[in-house]
Amino acid sequence: MFQNFRLAMAWVHTWFGLVLGFVLMVVFFFGSLSVFDREIDRWAIPESRFEPQPMPSFDRILKPVFESMQPSPESVAAMRPRVDGPMPEHFDTPVRWGAYTTHRDPVLGVFAGYQVPNAKDPEELVWGNRTIDPRTGESLPDDHLKIGSQFFYPLHYSLNFHWKDLGYWIVGLAALIMLVALVSGVVMHRKLFRELFTFRPGKSSQRRILDLHNLTGVVALPFHFMFAFTGLVIFAGMYFPVTHTQLEPLHDLHEIIEAEETGLPHERAGVAAPIASVDAMVAEAQRRWASKDMAGDVGFLAVQHVGDANSYVSGYRAGTDRIALTGEGIHFNGSTGEVIREDPVPSAVENIGEFLTGLHLQHFRHWLLRWLYVLGGLAGCVCIATGFLFFVKKRKRQHAQKGVSGARTVEALAVTTVTGMLIATLGILIANRLLPANLPARGDWEQYCFWAVWALAMAHAFWRSGPVSAVRTAPAWIEQCRAVAVLAVSAVALNWITTGDHLWRTLSAGYWPVAGVDLALLGSAVLALWAARQLKRRDRRAARAADESAAGEVVHA
Amino acid sequence: MTSATVFRRQIVSRTAAALLGGYVFAWGFIALGVAGMFAVGMSFHDAEHLFSMLALLLYLGVFLWSFAAREMRQVWLVLVGGGALMTALASLIQHALV
Repeated sequence: MFQNFRLAMAWVHTWFGLVLGFVLMVVFFFGSLSVFDREIDRWAIPESRFEPQPMPSFDRILKPVFESMQPSPESVAAMRPRVDGPMPEHFDTPVRWGAYTTHRDPVLGVFAGYQVPNAKDPEELVWGNRTIDPRTGESLPDDHLKIGSQFFYPLHYSLNFHWKDLGYWIVGLAALIMLVALVSGVVMHRKLFRELFTFRPGKSSQRRILDLHNLTGVVALPFHFMFAFTGLVIFAGMYFPVTHTQLEPLHDLHEIIEAEETGLPHERAGVAAPIASVDAMVAEAQRRWASKDMAGDVGFLAVQHVGDANSYVSGYRAGTDRIALTGEGIHFNGSTGEVIREDPVPSAVENIGEFLTGLHLQHFRHWLLRWLYVLGGLAGCVCIATGFLFFVKKRKRQHAQKGVSGARTVEALAVTTVTGMLIATLGILIANRLLPANLPARGDWEQYCFWAVWALAMAHAFWRSGPVSAVRTAPAWIEQCRAVAVLAVSAVALNWITTGDHLWRTLSAGYWPVAGVDLALLGSAVLALWAARQLKRRDRRAARAADESAAGEVVHA
Repeated sequence: MTSATVFRRQIVSRTAAALLGGYVFAWGFIALGVAGMFAVGMSFHDAEHLFSMLALLLYLGVFLWSFAAREMRQVWLVLVGGGALMTALASLIQHALV
């Protein structure tokens, strides 16, 4: 049906790229913000603006916290249909306690999983989470949203749309299409190396847009490919649950063999036993890491089969100094404190898997690379956005003549996913500073504001894109650029007013998490204003040209 | 039939083959890889990770092939037939092991 391979690839690139491009835009943009998720958290939760902390003492700080925890009402409610009989008021059998931290976390996230009596699948647990100040063990309010790590970050892989996990599947499809678009894009152009150095600002705007599309796509080609691919690898178990459906029996067999090999009990013994000093176990783990010349920060600490004679404690080394996440786990008998096992050196496949996952999640310490990630992600956004614009430019005239609204709809959607998305992002930051501190379910309100603002921006984009049908650019672009500038400056001002942390103070104190967010906001405001001015100028030029040609026609007539 | 309808029908068939056929094929590839390699002594997690990664690249390849191939019948046959065959083989191997 296609005359040749290249035309087939061009069709795939154009149409799949267009449809999934809107999702990819969200994934790339909020993925880029997630590189600084913890810094955005500091901006959003002023009481957490202090220096990153190491894993606190388990015996003094963490144990009392875990013991006072219970599963969240949401987790209990979600479990209810999978239980025979009523749910208990109080969950008495914690199966797993865990705490994870990185070199960028002042506050510590902890979680606990509990056995559910009469659960249809006895392995399924209900979960509770808490965020604590690791210096004192005091809890932070649950309804204060960590906008970076609890909203922007999950948005980039699940769209925060959890019904039947549909959001994950949409993003997974978009990631596959990203790979498809990259390969088909390379096939379409062939002159790969030349694209790297081609940007002709003097040429027609359609040519300029295509140059920029190719340039941003090719410059960061390995980056784009790796991120789409590693993102899929991270969730491969969800997209292809082979070993939890078809091969479940084989998986169970492997788990029994593994428990025998590692000596880590798969089941509870059913005999209560108190936990020994975990601090002593951590000290032993650190001694063993130090003897191998490794930094001794604990990244992940977990207790399995809590309170049972079969309990064991696992300490993992933080992934601050390498690509892979936490590793070199050492496991202790929970009630005697003896070492059961040291994880062996990972196999080649494990090394590759951990490298790919770590490359995507970047919990290592390397600030320059962190910024390059942001640049790569934003280059992806530019690539996708210019793809939309090229699609519109190419068809605008034709659609205007035929009287079809395709180009106008795509342009309005492009406005929604480019400037509209920025407006929504600024909207949640502003809501975060304006909503009363003691408002119940404050975090939920912040999220509603985000979606409401985005919906408004979309309505505005559709309303103010009429001129596209007359082969002009949508006025929505200019107006939304101005809105971005105003909102970004307002967010910085509101941070100052509500917390007193103005730029002069954060910069002179060298407190980069908040100073960085503020500076990025101001930078965005400047860029948005510049873009609005450029667009305005171009509009005027186009109007003048149209007047002249109209006048010319009159003269010639 | 007008050429537009033929084109539309082709596009639907190719898109379905690329997405669904590709999925079945990738599934079968993972299942056979995990069961087969576990049977010959590779660790379960290694087999799982290795074949998931390879399957994703394979999915990308067959997706593009679904649009590039001349003959659609062949695409459907290879993707769904091959995928089902690999899935069945995986179950047979599992049956022999468990």
